[in-house]
Amino acid sequence: MDQNCLHRVRNKALGIAHGVGLFLAMLVICLPGIWIVLSSLRPTVEIMAKPPVWIPQQLSLDAYVAMFSGVGKGGIPVLDYFRNSLIISVTSTVIAIAIGMAGGYAFARYRFRAKSAMFLGLMLTRTVPGIALSLPLFFVFARLGIIDTHFGLILVYVALNVPFTIWLIDGFFRQVPKDLAEAAQIDGCTRWQAFWQVEFPLAGPGIASAGIFAFLTSWNEFALASQLTRSINSKTLPVGLLDYTAEFTIDWRGMCALAVVMIIPALTLTFIVQKHLVGGLTSGAVKG
Amino acid sequence: MKGWRPSPPLLLLLPVVVVLAAVVVLPLLLSLYSSFTPFRLTKPETLWVFIGARNYVNILTNGDFWIAFARTVVLLTVALNLEMLIGLGLALLVEKASRGQRVLRTIMMFPMMFSPILVGFQFKFMFNDNIGLVNNALQALGLTDRAIPWLIDGNLAFIAILTAEIWSSTSVFAILILAGLLAMPREPVEAARVDGCTPWQTFRYVTWPFIMPFAFIAMTIRSLDVARAYDIVKIMTDGGPAGRTELVWTLVARTAYSDARMGMANAMAYFSILLSILFTVYFYRKLAAARTQIAAEW
Repeated sequence: MDQNCLHRVRNKALGIAHGVGLFLAMLVICLPGIWIVLSSLRPTVEIMAKPPVWIPQQLSLDAYVAMFSGVGKGGIPVLDYFRNSLIISVTSTVIAIAIGMAGGYAFARYRFRAKSAMFLGLMLTRTVPGIALSLPLFFVFARLGIIDTHFGLILVYVALNVPFTIWLIDGFFRQVPKDLAEAAQIDGCTRWQAFWQVEFPLAGPGIASAGIFAFLTSWNEFALASQLTRSINSKTLPVGLLDYTAEFTIDWRGMCALAVVMIIPALTLTFIVQKHLVGGLTSGAVKG
Repeated sequence: MKGWRPSPPLLLLLPVVVVLAAVVVLPLLLSLYSSFTPFRLTKPETLWVFIGARNYVNILTNGDFWIAFARTVVLLTVALNLEMLIGLGLALLVEKASRGQRVLRTIMMFPMMFSPILVGFQFKFMFNDNIGLVNNALQALGLTDRAIPWLIDGNLAFIAILTAEIWSSTSVFAILILAGLLAMPREPVEAARVDGCTPWQTFRYVTWPFIMPFAFIAMTIRSLDVARAYDIVKIMTDGGPAGRTELVWTLVARTAYSDARMGMANAMAYFSILLSILFTVYFYRKLAAARTQIAAEW
């Protein structure tokens, strides 16, 4: 009886400890984001206050209004940046997926010489740090006259995204049993038809999440964009964030507001695909 | 066979190879060449002067470069190990949760969506010595009565950068390890328990070998973009104060664009590329080994 009671108390304590630990961990994860959203809604005076004001006294959308009201009124050309970011990210994602699908299919369905060496080789092109790659690219692009254009950045982001896209898509095609496509071919489909009517729809959700991953990479990229863009012609949002920093001062509130604008599309997209993303990354692990 | 036709995988891989050759391999060859010249952006004609390995000799005898290099390696080693440990802990916590796992998993992915530059900026904000959340909290709790100069002191700045790095990347580990835990069959764990293993033994000899490949996937993914730390450091301290948080990548950027010494910067960049490749190949091999092991056991 006594031992039973002790055991029950211990279990209860462990349960509470687990709950507390979980809560603290989640708090640490969420806090920076919450703090940014909160700061973007507070007046600058409150952000700078000493001693700190913990509970917001007044909330307003002033920072957002100022940001969108354009240059000269304390804003930055955020709409231009947004448009650039969107054009560049979407286009490069579409191209990267098209190319990556071909490559991923090749890795998943065919045997050929030096396959794993080639796979590793593709991955290695991705490891080149953006800043190291930006030096020669800057030089070449300057010569070709495609610095500060959408085209230049799109080209770079396609190359940046393709290796990882191939990795993901390869995993998704492996999950689709080979027999299905073969059955379709026996029933009279060509390989091309079998691909589009059987394998593609089955791997579809996975491919979509690979696309979103590529989109996020382009959307968030900074090291290359900061060197290859110059003006509102092609500056993307991450580069635009630096507009809020002057030599010695930083407009914290404006920066927070822009951060919120940047994070919302990323947040929405990731929630949509999170399940498939994990599946795609791990599928190779179990099936080898 | 009706004559020679290019094999299908070759055709399918052709576009990938072309794009990567044009955007990555060729520029890298160019930069390899220019690392043997005294090339400066302001003087284009210097591209044609060949000076042998002088840039490399300069770098190798340059104390600042070695310090930055060592700091980068230390940062990566500490960050990756801590991320792994914390990620494992987080995954175990979430796996144990009986309710709301979906919500918890979603929250766990939260930092992944943050652009590194945003992470850098938000931690710069939070570690600000005057108005930052960290100092305000510490002072309000009475743990310290003066403002801690987080980003102004070299060592503290390193810790702040490490924190930002860990916050932003732990979720990669946590999510993949959690996926491993969820995919794991129950029977071996129960069998171990019946046979009288302590929880620690169960974890060490049953659970851990199983989730190891997942941890290596996470490691490989992480090592693919270790250089993301550049964005964080660039915005948090920009290598400062007085070069105390300079990493290889910020040093490359400074040499190339502020000093306009492209040849020199390219030589440095090659060291940073080497570093990334070593990390990736190492983890990729581990991953391949872990994969075959799992495949053999199943």
